[in-house]
Amino acid sequence: MSDIGRADLLTSPLHRRHLSLGAKFAEFSGWSMPVEYTGAVKEHNAVRSAVGIFDVSHLGKALVRGPGAVAYVNSCLTNDLDKIGPGQAQYTLCCDVGGGVVDDLIAYLRSDDEVLLIPNAANATEVVRRLSASAPAGVNVLNLHSDYAILAVQGPASDEVLESIGYPVGHRYMSFVDVEHDDVAVVVCRTGYTGERGYELVVPNQAALSVWDAIMSAGQASGIAAAGLAARDTLRTEMGYPLHGNDISMRISPLQARLGWAIGWKKDSFWGHEALRAEKAAGPTQTLRGLVAAGRGIPRSGMSVTNSAGESIGSVTSGTYSPSRKRGIALALLDCRVADSDHVYVDVRGRREPFVVTKPPFFTPDVQERQGS
Amino acid sequence: MNPQDLKYTAEHEWVKEVSDGAVRVGITDFAQESLGDIVYVHLPEVGVDVEAGAPMGELESTKSVSDLFAPVDGTVTARNEQLESAPELCNSDAYGEGWIVEIRLSDDSQLEGLLSASDYEATIASS
Repeated sequence: MSDIGRADLLTSPLHRRHLSLGAKFAEFSGWSMPVEYTGAVKEHNAVRSAVGIFDVSHLGKALVRGPGAVAYVNSCLTNDLDKIGPGQAQYTLCCDVGGGVVDDLIAYLRSDDEVLLIPNAANATEVVRRLSASAPAGVNVLNLHSDYAILAVQGPASDEVLESIGYPVGHRYMSFVDVEHDDVAVVVCRTGYTGERGYELVVPNQAALSVWDAIMSAGQASGIAAAGLAARDTLRTEMGYPLHGNDISMRISPLQARLGWAIGWKKDSFWGHEALRAEKAAGPTQTLRGLVAAGRGIPRSGMSVTNSAGESIGSVTSGTYSPSRKRGIALALLDCRVADSDHVYVDVRGRREPFVVTKPPFFTPDVQERQGS
Repeated sequence: MNPQDLKYTAEHEWVKEVSDGAVRVGITDFAQESLGDIVYVHLPEVGVDVEAGAPMGELESTKSVSDLFAPVDGTVTARNEQLESAPELCNSDAYGEGWIVEIRLSDDSQLEGLLSASDYEATIASS
């Protein structure tokens, strides 16, 4: 059941804190990370109603720096870094020449000569490899995957918690501030993957425990909960945010996933631009859509979707139980001819469960964050 | 941790004799802890015949789904309708309000083949 004892897995600098909190662990891309503490639903609800703290140290961290670093990254990744300035962050994609998605990531622009990238754990090595391979002289790509912890503090009470211990708060969504806090250099980002107002803190490993403890203790009055990656998944699915490997991949293009807004179409070039422009001109035949259960079915990745005539119209890419809606929800790659509000069926282990095609998000937080910038 | 007066299965279910020839069935504390938050219980219909060791329903948690196995041969005589709206009872009160079904045994002697609390705990410890 537990991956705690597996010596071949990487662990976060916060691992022993998770152990003392009684976390259950699971493997995420070679890392043993907390999947839940007191229960995924309770943790999910704490983030929606108060505040939760997640350890997402398994995410990659890579620094691209040197003269022209930003211009170089902008010639590789899809979104247009010219749209943002220093101190701002951007959701972007690393595509293959064929338009497949190697990874989705957040780019934090520090200056024309420095950009911090946060790729997914599973793809960090590959993103770094691709960026390193074609980097011009003087531009270095540093893989800092195991040098930093990342703590996500998410929920409507996240500002009051961080402010009470002296962190800068209130900056615009998709912006960040580099601070020295108790002699530790911390990046305080107004980003997250839950749809709630919140922050992500990039902290050097050696300071991770003290930052975690300070936030936990400051958050007691606000009802802070340590939240695991199971809650992170239900939170992001409620918002319709794609997960690489499920909803976007080398085989599911950004256009299918309706991420055209994260592509800088006006740029001359970026990895995969020819294939993506061709796909855009032709129009994708399948797109990522939302499904909400009309009954009690809980959809899971890989389940097939049919129309009322029993014809196959696609498959589920992410599915779960929504604690906010108290029913099954899914993202599914469906034939473009399927319309919103259509009644469809998901094959849940042989049962034909009814669903309604619904445009995400499946839940609207009180203070909604919009994905992207 | 597990009530001494119940019988158990290797599939982490408990069985309690509720009347002559009829048993109530639920999942153990170990099972609910392993599954995590239970969000849906697919119950068998009253009146269906079930076979020991065969799936008779499903327990779905936020992260996964597990079969609910019949611990004995018999006929389903009742199901806990409360679980329809409150499946989390399987987590919060696994041996009480979180019971799942009642089954009329096809043969009373089946209970002798089930595990005692101490045998069950030994099973968990060695797993």
